[in-house]
Parts: sequence; C-alpha cells; structure tokens
Amino acid sequence: MSSERKRIVLVDDDDDFAAAVTAFLELHGFEVHRAADGRSGVTLAKMVRPDLVLMDVIMGERTEGFFAVQNLRRTPGLEQVPVFVISSVYSAEPQFKVTPERGWLAHDEFFQKPVDLPALLKSITARLGGGEGALATNPGTIK
Amino acid sequence: MISEDGVRDQETVVVIDDDYAMRLSCHQILAKMGFRVEEFEDGARGLEGVSRLKPSLVVVDLKMPGIGGLEVVARIHKLDPEIITVVITGFATIGTAVDAMKSGAYDFVPKPFSPDELRVIVNRGLERRRLRLDSKRHEQERELMRRRFVTFVSHQLRTPLVAVHQYLDVLKHLPEGPDAVEKRAEWMERCLVRTDEMQQLIKDWLTLAEVEGGALTRERVAVDAAPLLSGLVDRLSTMAAEAGVTMTCQVPEDGLPLLGDAAALSMLFENLLVNAIKYNRAEGRVAVTAEGRDGEAVVSVADTGIGIPEEYRDAVFDEFVRVKGEGAKKTTGTGLGLPICKRIAGELGGVIELESHVGVGTTFRVRLPLHRPVQTAATAGGDA
Repeated sequence: MSSERKRIVLVDDDDDFAAAVTAFLELHGFEVHRAADGRSGVTLAKMVRPDLVLMDVIMGERTEGFFAVQNLRRTPGLEQVPVFVISSVYSAEPQFKVTPERGWLAHDEFFQKPVDLPALLKSITARLGGGEGALATNPGTIK
Repeated sequence: MISEDGVRDQETVVVIDDDYAMRLSCHQILAKMGFRVEEFEDGARGLEGVSRLKPSLVVVDLKMPGIGGLEVVARIHKLDPEIITVVITGFATIGTAVDAMKSGAYDFVPKPFSPDELRVIVNRGLERRRLRLDSKRHEQERELMRRRFVTFVSHQLRTPLVAVHQYLDVLKHLPEGPDAVEKRAEWMERCLVRTDEMQQLIKDWLTLAEVEGGALTRERVAVDAAPLLSGLVDRLSTMAAEAGVTMTCQVPEDGLPLLGDAAALSMLFENLLVNAIKYNRAEGRVAVTAEGRDGEAVVSVADTGIGIPEEYRDAVFDEFVRVKGEGAKKTTGTGLGLPICKRIAGELGGVIELESHVGVGTTFRVRLPLHRPVQTAATAGGDA
C-alpha cells in the first residue's frame, strides 16, 4: 500500500506545526516525511524522492527555505518537483517575483500560516491526484 | 579616497572658471592631490559636467559671464546636496561669497591663494562629505534593522499562535476514534505549552520595553545582595533539584549593599540563575558568589553547562539570539532573558560580562555600584 501513496516532504522548524499538518495529510492518504531545517530537508528529499515538497521560509534566523528551494532545483531528479511554500511572512501574495531564474517554477504555490487545510489539500490533490488511502476507506488511521 | 592602486577609488573634482590661468593652476594642484580633474569654462557647461560626472567636489569661480557662480552653487546644491562646492572669489566679492555659502557652498578661497590654501579647504570639504555620507549610511542601516526587527518580532509571536491554530484546525477535521482521543489529549497539552510560550514572550517583551524606558529601574535604594541571592537560590532549589543541579551560594556574612532597584535586581539575578540551571548538565553545579571589590559589587553566577561558543559571546545579549547546538535544543526560551539582564545592569550603572569555555561552563559576572551610606554620627559605626 505504501508504494502507491504519494510522498510529501515537509520542511518546517516548528515541530508542532509539522505534527499537525502531517496528521492531516496522513489522514488523507499521503506519506509524509519531515525535516526541521533547509539542509536536512534537501537531504531527505534526495533520499525520499517526494512528489511534492512543503517548505517553510524562516527557519532559524534567516530565510533558509529560499536557499533550500534553490538547492532542490540544482539536484538531479528534483529540478521539477513542485514546491509549496508555507510561511507566516506573507500576508497574501509574496512580494517578490516568482520567476524560473530564481528557482521558482510555474507550478509552485504559496500559502500563508496558519495554513488553510482544505485549500492546501485541494491544491495538492490537483497537482498529485489524491492520496492512496482516502478518508472514507481508512477512517481514523492517523499517526 | 585614494587607494593603494590610486585608480579605482579616484574621486572626481570639477573646476568651473572662465579664467584659463586659474583653471590651469587649480587643475595642477588638484591633480597632484590625486583627483581626477575636469574643467569647464562657464556655468552652463559646468553644470552639465557636474550632473554627468557626479563629482565629490566642485571649485567654482563666483564672477563668470553667463550663469554666475552663485547660481551654479545653488543648482549644484539642488542637484545633490552632498557635493561639496568651494567658491573662488576676489576680496571685493566676499559679501557674495557669504551669499554663496547661504546657497549651499561649503567654503570659499579668496584670490590670490596659495596651493596649500586650496589643498586645506578641499581636504576639509571632502572629509566633511565622507562623514556626512557615513552617517547617512549608518542611519539607513539602523532604519533597515529597525524594520527587520519589527518583522522578526511579529514572526516570533506568530509562530506559537500558528502551531496552536493548526492543531485546533486538524482536530476539527479528525474523525472520531481511539486515535483521535489520543491525539486530542497530546495536542491539547502541546497547545498549552505553546500558549505559555507566547505568554512568556509577551511578558519578556514588555519587561524589556519597561527596562528600556527606565520604568523598572527607577528606585535607587540600598539593596542587600546577600539575602537577595540566598533567597533566590532557596526559591530555585526545587527547579535545580529537578534538573539534577546542585547550587551553592557564597555571600559576605555582613551583607553586600547594592545601590539600585530591588525588583529589577531580583529579576536580573533570577534570570541568570534560571539560565545557569537550564543550560547545565545533569549533576552539574551552579556557584553563586558575591563580594565587594575595588569599590563595586561583583556577583558571579557560574555553571558547569554546555558553554557558549566564541562566535555567540557578544550576540547572546542581543534580542532573540539563542545559541544553536545539541545542548540548547532541549530547552525552551524566549531569547529575551539576557537582553533584559544587560539592560537592567546598564540602567543601574553596572555591566555584565561573561566568560565561557565550551563543554566546561559559563560564568556571568555582574558589576554594580555599591551603596555608600552617608556618614553621620548615627550611621557611622560598624561600617568597614
């Protein structure tokens, strides 16, 4: 069953935020792998080969997430992986241009924290299709 | 500024004068000083040259046909007030020179002048320009830091709030079942921890603001450090015991009178003691000592903890800086404790220093003014 599930790497330095989002995504049948900083996020993505990366921006004292995204784009096999940025630094739209030369791809998306879970799920599902074990078939199996 | 290679940092100086001989001699003096010199024979061409070349300094003759020197000075000043203008004037026109300075000229050289006279004025003018540009840059940097700081504080405050919100939101979507019961219990606990974190952050933030405004350190009375410190050590003994840390307290038996605010001093030492317990190792020690030395009070709080790496030693007193590392990960903190300590010590006319060895421990040393009682017949007695 796990081989069928879509894999998501979640990079966020707040354990509680990550735990909550992970539980929600697992509930909807996704396989979630967590990293707490940009560098280990990239390493994890290299190993896990995720279908999607959820990335925080400010980790530690700087905008580590941005560097991690650029590193992902330089990693063979991960150049095209969709990155959804989830950060509290945006009130609505990011204030910078989302252009390919800065490492952003057209299918990347931006969410503000706290994240609107149904909206996030809708975007992920639109990008990847549903998680394998949907809520209806697998009620209550969250970890 | 002239750098070693003499080219890259070469500053440009413009000379505007209708008198060929005067232009030539100015050119020679200034070129010898290492400047790139451009000359123009009238005001119109000169102004065009100035806006194109963006020189550091302009030497302008006041008496020229066409656009006069006064007008040239005013227009240059309008174009870029940081360009230094020096006017050349005959003795008869010193009144006009004063007008030129009102229009923004830096100084004037009366004709005839020696190379040295011009050199001195040019150097002084450029020095002033450098100072002004430096302070302008510093002001911009400070402003940028202020703005970043506000962004950073709101991020710090928002982080726990986001975590709590996200837990509640997921709980709402959670289907009933044994897993949900377990999650609910676990997450409720976490929500409480995070709201506490936020409370503490707001509290520390306010404290910092109050200390900064002087509101928390208003009193200047005699505060005996001896009972204050031993009382704090007693009060924190449970916390220390839970962390497996032993505390010792060595204070002068006849007391150590500090001059300051009792509540602020208590806050200062409590912060240091709590840190010493928190950032210690199991079976570690905290040694508190206080003594009068060279006319001031010295209070030391030494731990046997993880130590502070050298690159953090200044920064730990800055807001929100927390030392990264294996040992520090387990502890929670707002990153405002030491900034509060530093501000309190400073407001009370003291200083706080630290000495640290990674893996061995850290000693914070607070030096504060002693209370000196006025010697009267009534109080002069057992005082040493």
